[in-house]
Amino acid sequence: MALKGLDIFKLTPKKNCKECGCPTCMAFAMKVAAGALPIEKCPHMSQDALDSLSEATAPLMKTIEVGAGDAALKLGGETVLFRHEKTLVNRTRFAVSIASDDADIDARLEAAKLVDYERIGEREFVEMLFLDYAGNGADAYVALVNKAKDLGRVLVLNCADADVAKAALDACKALKPILNGANKDNLDAMNAVATAAGVTLGVSGADISELYDTIKAAEGKGNKNLVLDATGADAKKTFENAVLIRRSNLKDGDRTLGYPTLVNLDKIAPGDLHMQTALASAFVLRYAAIVVMSEMRYAEALALYGLRQNIFTDPQKPMKVEPGIYALNGADENSVCSLTVDFALTYFLVSGEYERSKCPVNLLITDASGMSVLTAWAAGKFSAGTIKKFFDEADIENKIKSRTLIIPGKVAVMKGEIEAKLPGWNVVVGPMEAVQLVKFIKDFTA
Amino acid sequence: MGKFIVIGERISVTAPTMRKAFAERDPEPIIQRCEQQLKAGAHYIDVNIGPAESDGEEVMQWAVKLLQERFDNVPLALDTSNMKAIEAGIQVYNRSKGKPIVNSADAGSRFNRIELAANNDAIVIALCSADGIASDNDERMAHCQRMLEEGLMHGMEAEDLWFDPLFLVVKGMQDKQMEVLEAIKMFSDMGLNSTGGLSNNSNGMPKHIRPIFDSCMLAMAMMQGLTSAIVNPNDQRLMETVKTCDIIKNNNLYADSYLEI
Amino acid sequence: MPFTPKKQAFNARINAVTLGTGDKSVTIGGENVLPFYSFDAPIPNKPLIAAEISDKLLAGVNAPALLAFYAGCETMADMARKAETMPGVSAICLHFETADPNAENTSIEECVAKAKEVADAVEMPLIIMGCKNVEKDGKLFEAISSALEGKNILVLSAREENYKSVGASAGMAYNQKVGAESAVDINLAKQLNVLLSQLGVPAASVCMNVGSAAAGYGFEYLSSTLDRVKAASLAQSDAQLQMPIVTPVSPETWVVKEATAPEDENPGWGDVEERAIEMEVCTASACLIGGSNMVIMKHPASIATISQFIDSLM
Repeated sequence: MALKGLDIFKLTPKKNCKECGCPTCMAFAMKVAAGALPIEKCPHMSQDALDSLSEATAPLMKTIEVGAGDAALKLGGETVLFRHEKTLVNRTRFAVSIASDDADIDARLEAAKLVDYERIGEREFVEMLFLDYAGNGADAYVALVNKAKDLGRVLVLNCADADVAKAALDACKALKPILNGANKDNLDAMNAVATAAGVTLGVSGADISELYDTIKAAEGKGNKNLVLDATGADAKKTFENAVLIRRSNLKDGDRTLGYPTLVNLDKIAPGDLHMQTALASAFVLRYAAIVVMSEMRYAEALALYGLRQNIFTDPQKPMKVEPGIYALNGADENSVCSLTVDFALTYFLVSGEYERSKCPVNLLITDASGMSVLTAWAAGKFSAGTIKKFFDEADIENKIKSRTLIIPGKVAVMKGEIEAKLPGWNVVVGPMEAVQLVKFIKDFTA
Repeated sequence: MGKFIVIGERISVTAPTMRKAFAERDPEPIIQRCEQQLKAGAHYIDVNIGPAESDGEEVMQWAVKLLQERFDNVPLALDTSNMKAIEAGIQVYNRSKGKPIVNSADAGSRFNRIELAANNDAIVIALCSADGIASDNDERMAHCQRMLEEGLMHGMEAEDLWFDPLFLVVKGMQDKQMEVLEAIKMFSDMGLNSTGGLSNNSNGMPKHIRPIFDSCMLAMAMMQGLTSAIVNPNDQRLMETVKTCDIIKNNNLYADSYLEI
Repeated sequence: MPFTPKKQAFNARINAVTLGTGDKSVTIGGENVLPFYSFDAPIPNKPLIAAEISDKLLAGVNAPALLAFYAGCETMADMARKAETMPGVSAICLHFETADPNAENTSIEECVAKAKEVADAVEMPLIIMGCKNVEKDGKLFEAISSALEGKNILVLSAREENYKSVGASAGMAYNQKVGAESAVDINLAKQLNVLLSQLGVPAASVCMNVGSAAAGYGFEYLSSTLDRVKAASLAQSDAQLQMPIVTPVSPETWVVKEATAPEDENPGWGDVEERAIEMEVCTASACLIGGSNMVIMKHPASIATISQFIDSLM
């Protein structure tokens, strides 16, 4: 629990010596409680006092690293409840659940590999495999683990049997998996297995109060490498757990709950992929670090990964696409060119409309620092000069034979300047809004 | 951060019409002034019944019931040196729209008002002076610390002690103005709430100048972190300043019509 | 000591707004907690779903299950009657896309006739969505509000350019409900509510459309706008932002590439209708979690899922 000013004040020498820069010890104590000053600023604190306060200055939520090598991921480490307050830092990761008694393990592992694509500089795929121990013996489970190892994903071993877990960890601990399955009854054994293997331990409880006590018990054994399984009996309870864990941690300052959370949708909405998508969307927004689904097809991935990418964008840094030539609808060197900025939203809107038109277009994306058309123009990031520079750097003149260039209607004023900088090009003013592009390009190329 | 709290100061026995109304238990003038202040955007209404040594308990209860019944349990600051009158007022006070404010305690003879507020789950205005104006901020902050400790020891939340640096009159104490503003910053840095009789700074100035001084002082004080003031809400310039500063401080969301709401 | 999480119920509430009349009338809003935080305080009215019906009917629709659901429907009224039977639907949203003067430019009279036919055919509350041309929409809303007086419909929407005419006609003269539309601009959202109230439209007659977007398409702006509206309305008790939020989802999600690109162009992507459903489900869920009190959707499968989703969290 975050310390209150009065608690800290009791530890101060109460001399009002001002050596810390504050007018009184009370003022100093209040500032320390608010995180505005480090406790060490007071030269008269006893070591006991310092020790009891040191925890109060650490980040509220821990960052947990899982996986090894290229598959390594960071979970948690959030500092705010809502992205507009600052930014969210470590995006929700998706796992697919595979049980040790599934009849079609090979096919399911193969299916987990299906989704793999890039979206605005981010690889979108199933980052984790949630390997569910079905109670059919250590051999079956280890066999599953060994097969799953080859996929290069972070493994989550969902297994509450410490002996089986140990056997599984012997096979994969180098990959830094998560061992999920500790609860109030098996904590001693599970904790021993996880710490011996040096892996993150997943903790659960019948309710948030039991979970809380179990985390305390794990921390009491010196283990602070945890994730919290927030999955409850149903969707409502799971949502409540996820919100209360994060809110009690970040808003109310309770460090015991300062760990990333996992929710298992395969458990609360089994067999209903649409419902899992609805819930996954909710948990991307409300505080799951790991979302476990029963499967992940492109239908789910395209929507969920798009949402996730949006939500975990830093509000201070706009999403940008790479400048360059984007050939749409089978465009070749003779197809017309259309120019716009690298702001991701602009790119998506414009390319989406052009794709719907089915007309071949070379979409030219110029570097405008991720600003929208008008903002970039006003800031001098989208001018005849920057466009000329882009044409030179991207070698447009040699790569494309067409000499027709459509510019956004909002910057029609630049037409003359662009023509002056790009001799030989026919500059055409396009529509004001992206939604008018389909009609425009159809009429234009007709 | 919450919005700046305006405590309307116009129901006070220092005004002859109010003095007469309290003496005669004449509700109309008091109701009228309350309504004017609420319409202008006051959040709390100060009820200053003066020392009222003989009939304070009865007057305060009468005033609290009068205003709260008429104005949907409007939150009030109970302003008198008569402790029993404050307690009597709190007995009949409805807190659905906000806790009562005890106006006021200090680090001198009125120190026990802090305990009174604590016992009654009230907010207390804690004047950072003993029985004279604090000579400098060292003294002001020592008073602050002592009163804060007292409140916390009696189980109050720190947010319920509203520290008053004591605004000083410019005509006479011009060289002390920045010190008062610095004290507000110190309260703010400690995360404490603050308030005060802001218009004291312009005492004795020509009538047309006072709103200008009050507005400027308010803007500077809000910059320093002042969270409330006891003022005349019917001073339009002042209220426009409060609303504008609240926007700049992100205490309220901007809309083009922000002055009208 | 057992762990007891702190509650976070606010002193302020979202306004409760009733749409429609009679047994099928519905009320949205009224909560004093963040969306679905029923563990903080009870939520009096669950979020609801309106089914979108375009005046283009099913032209251009490439979704076999959706087509099958509306098989045999030849008018908006036919579709509305059918939509009323869809599990999870609480209101019917008529989308007059073809009224756009830059497109088919369907006349006001024709739109009114269609709206009346629907109103006679169904009992659920009606929501009228325009063509985004502010001038035409202003006239359209006035005419439909007049024709459907007493039906307590919601018009979407009053914008900065036409709030006066829409507010005065729909909101005041005909006593309907007005949706105030701002595109992810929270200051404008508040300003429009102020202006409508200054005009004389009662706060209980106003809903907000604070913007819409499909998942992946700038949804972060909508998400943060929703979060900030809830923070201002509940935590800061800002009465000018306490209107319930109605968010059109389907008009955004059914046009993006993920929901339209044919399977043969993107091997592995799978069935296009399934992609459209998941895009609609994902987006609607994210809107609801952010604070939409009503979402406008299209596909029976997505609506069934989101309806169950809402019930499962209430």
